[in-house]
Amino acid sequence: MRARSNRVAFLVAAVSLVAACSGGGDITDSGDAVTTPSAPPQQSVAPGETAAAVTTTTVSPDTLPDCPTNALATATGTTEITFWHSMSAALGEEVVKLTDAYNASQDKVKVNLVQGSYEETADNYYLASQGDRPDLVQLPEYQMQAMVDSASTVPVGRCIEASGYDTSAFLPTALAAYATQGVQWSIPFNISNPVLFYNKKAFAAAGLDPNVPPKSLDEVRAFSKQLVDSGASKYGLALESGFDSGGGWYVEQWFCKAQEFYTDGDNGRTSRATEVLFNAPTGVEVLTYLQQLLQDGLAVDVGDNTQTGFDNLLKLADDKEPAAMTMATSASLGQVLAVLAGGQFPQIGPDDVGVGPMPGPDGLPGALIGGASLWPVDTGDDVRTAATWDFITYLVAAQQQSQWAAATGYIPVRTDALELDPYKSTLATDPRFGVAYAQLLSSPDAATSAGPVMGPLREVRSVLATAIAAIFDGADVTATLNAAAEQSNGLITDYNIRNS
Amino acid sequence: MATDIASVGATHGWRKVGRYSLLTFIAVVVLFPIYAVLLQALKSGPDSLDHPRSLLPVDLTFSTIRAAWDQGDLGRLLLNSLFVAVVVTTGVIITSLLAAYAFAFLEFPFKGPIFVFFLATMLVPGEVTVVFNQRTADSLGWINSYQGLIVPSLASTFGVFLVRQVFLQLPHELREAASLDGVGHMRFLWEVAAPLSRPTLGALGLFTFLGTWNAYLWPSQVIRGDRAHETIQIGLDRLKSSDISRLNLVTGGLVVAALPIFILLVVFQRQLVRGLTAGAVKG
Amino acid sequence: MKRRLRDAPAALLMLGTSLVLLGVWTIYPLVRAIQTGHLSCNQTGTRCIDTGWSTYFDVFMSEQFQDALKVSFWLAVMTVPAGLILGVGLAVLADKHLRGIGFFRTVFSSTVATSVAVASLVWFVLLQPEIGVLSDLFSNWIPALKNPGLLRDPGTALPAVALSSIWASLGFTFIVITAGLQSVPKELYESAYVDGAGSFRRFTNVTLPMLSPSILFISVVLTTRALQTYGEVALLTGGGPEPEKSTTTIPYLIYGRNSIISQDIGLKSAAAVLLFLISLVFALVQFRGFEKRVHYGN
Repeated sequence: MRARSNRVAFLVAAVSLVAACSGGGDITDSGDAVTTPSAPPQQSVAPGETAAAVTTTTVSPDTLPDCPTNALATATGTTEITFWHSMSAALGEEVVKLTDAYNASQDKVKVNLVQGSYEETADNYYLASQGDRPDLVQLPEYQMQAMVDSASTVPVGRCIEASGYDTSAFLPTALAAYATQGVQWSIPFNISNPVLFYNKKAFAAAGLDPNVPPKSLDEVRAFSKQLVDSGASKYGLALESGFDSGGGWYVEQWFCKAQEFYTDGDNGRTSRATEVLFNAPTGVEVLTYLQQLLQDGLAVDVGDNTQTGFDNLLKLADDKEPAAMTMATSASLGQVLAVLAGGQFPQIGPDDVGVGPMPGPDGLPGALIGGASLWPVDTGDDVRTAATWDFITYLVAAQQQSQWAAATGYIPVRTDALELDPYKSTLATDPRFGVAYAQLLSSPDAATSAGPVMGPLREVRSVLATAIAAIFDGADVTATLNAAAEQSNGLITDYNIRNS
Repeated sequence: MATDIASVGATHGWRKVGRYSLLTFIAVVVLFPIYAVLLQALKSGPDSLDHPRSLLPVDLTFSTIRAAWDQGDLGRLLLNSLFVAVVVTTGVIITSLLAAYAFAFLEFPFKGPIFVFFLATMLVPGEVTVVFNQRTADSLGWINSYQGLIVPSLASTFGVFLVRQVFLQLPHELREAASLDGVGHMRFLWEVAAPLSRPTLGALGLFTFLGTWNAYLWPSQVIRGDRAHETIQIGLDRLKSSDISRLNLVTGGLVVAALPIFILLVVFQRQLVRGLTAGAVKG
Repeated sequence: MKRRLRDAPAALLMLGTSLVLLGVWTIYPLVRAIQTGHLSCNQTGTRCIDTGWSTYFDVFMSEQFQDALKVSFWLAVMTVPAGLILGVGLAVLADKHLRGIGFFRTVFSSTVATSVAVASLVWFVLLQPEIGVLSDLFSNWIPALKNPGLLRDPGTALPAVALSSIWASLGFTFIVITAGLQSVPKELYESAYVDGAGSFRRFTNVTLPMLSPSILFISVVLTTRALQTYGEVALLTGGGPEPEKSTTTIPYLIYGRNSIISQDIGLKSAAAVLLFLISLVFALVQFRGFEKRVHYGN
């Protein structure tokens, strides 16, 4: 008995010792097959042409499912469809409102809603078998390649063709964001991009013009210095490293502004991405700049934003050590104003909030289409597919987009929504709602203005977020970014092997 | 001995005061988190965010709890939790009774290996089974349904062992006399064995109810975004993310979620103790 | 012999439900998880590559798993001894026939009524840097409470999670140890007293040995809970302040929000099976290690 217990204890100790000493690789490199990658062949496809059978792409246009949009006309009774969406809190309530109105306005289609977070919805969608998937799912822009590879949806482009739907009023960049290789996979529903939220009261107290936000990183530094030195605010800029924002998404935005590609393959749109380029000089430059701001006490790092999702915005309302500026998604504008109007924070009211374009290198303009899109699922049931298409056309119609944008802060996906109330009067009375839109329109007409598309984009953002958190802590920018790039490239290679 | 041997370990005078003080101090520390949250739940919105905060029970209102109730649809969540817990508890008691009877009173081939099988399943943690259970539930169409929440928990090896233990302690003569009278297995089980095991069954029931009410991992995997079927535990998480500035809404939800169980605990304290210790003291 | 076979149909009927349920919902997923652990799959699980059984070794040795293992290990180190000492201490303290002792016993048992969600959210509210009560009261002594908040400071995040865990398990531990205490025969104390043993000696020579089965039980349960910590992390820290990921336990590595393997069911399964094995090893080591000192029976 004694010998046995000693032996077991020794074994445990030995294993722990071995474990503690060895370096270990990346968990995603586990196993034999994955360590011998084969790079997929590159192939470019000009927009408009359908791709020839490519060995690595999983869906060839010849095998794309049809979208029988007129099946609804001949159907009897009410068709019930399920919509998995990812809008929470006030945004979710607006989705409920829109859906209720749709259900009430006609009796051919009834929509049932299921709500989750972006990650939950994606995970649940992939794990489900085709028969248990919903009829319509809303997924964020970074899920595009993974969704295409799942080969489980009806490309929205087929529905547009079949019904002769007029997309001329749509923002061309919005549609293009969700199309690759000549196929329009999904249709944009909620568009956002990061904007700068700032405290006008603090600006005024510091002697800055409260209606002129900083546009370049240099201006951010100068404004921050003035804010801090004058005592108007403890910090100039609040930074965070959440993977869906400051730790990942924003970097893609900065590359767009700088007119540089984030991955190869023209951001993964003409051919599959095989490596990331965020460790290019632009990336190093911006992050070094931000790191310097932190080290000079002009900016503060609120962490990875997981506690409330709004930690950086709350920093603006902090009454002890506030920051005067922060970058956040334009989609939160509606909620921010509503919360401030509730009087929770006496020192800052809804009128004290200013909104400006996201500052970037040299003040270059532009933004990527962010947000999410709608994917009709290939259920194999013609009537349900047609019903889903009907619901989609409702959600992206000008009137609904106007209502949606006015209530949230999302940008309407089509220009004719700007001429309809309620968004028209919202824009007229509160120009802050138009900042994200103007920023989007200011994007240069270049291939770099369409954001990166790659399978493991979500995981890559996670890796980059950890790297940025380290950088904010003071780590060497170049080395950290290079390490993150290497890890990301490994993720991409693994993904491509598993999906080809 | 001058002192009474029966009073060995009894406390007198100063030691008594000391003990009471220590007990009170620790009780305050243990209860403080609950008290603080309860207090915050009973104060109204904006005041809760003022600081330094008063720790005195003044200016109390039910408005926060009511707001949490409405916004989180807590009534339905409570009903769901209650329904699932009651059904699972009943099911566990029944399946445990049946299986324990088989092990205690019946002889059958492979009895030993099957018992080891039961033992083995007790060691398997939820984290391993969750992934594929979710798939199984999915293929059965049980996602976002009551069946998905209930069925996987209907068998409990802990329950089987507990009841088997009690059955083994019933006098042999009872069973022999009954079989001489021609009493079959089921009659013996329901009319003799079960009633005699009532205290243990009560403990098992309470323990199972508590465990089911408090379950988090499995419900979070099987209920996805379907508010109609959520239990109170996953619903609480939703409250947390629903409104960033009104953190006191969470406290309102917490009070609603925890209160039924606290009451249950106070009322059924003895049974609970018996249930939890059955595994420990015997070793 | 006849009796064995005669009972068989009845046994089948009575065991049947449990067997089927356990087979489908416990054994089957375990087996599938072990099988899938040597695969690497795409996000829908429709295309899997066989990566060999070495996957298990690679996952175990990988940086992320090792980091998570360390976190889980430190969590166990923080919660198990503390939980035991507090549980035993409180149980002994309250094991006296004083007036009103029932009230104290109820208070000390009360946290058994809290679920993972409730306990974690209670501490989440308390530990909020700006509006949490603790930061108001104690920030003079522990500045990290206010800035940036215990849950956001990489040095204090894991201890904070441990604190919430210890508090939550206190009731359970107290109840079990109290019951264990009450089964100690009075005569043992009396004979020790007669032998001239003071209260401390009585504690070490009588109480502790007689409590040993309960202590072992609590130790195993608390260790298993520490290794399986998921909900607390999900609700309190979301995996721990980046970039250290100070509170990413093994379950959180597998199922958490930022999980890097969330879309590969093969790696998820491998990691989950490894967690199972590690828990098993820890439990076995404790059983074997304490076996000599655990005093059963009378």
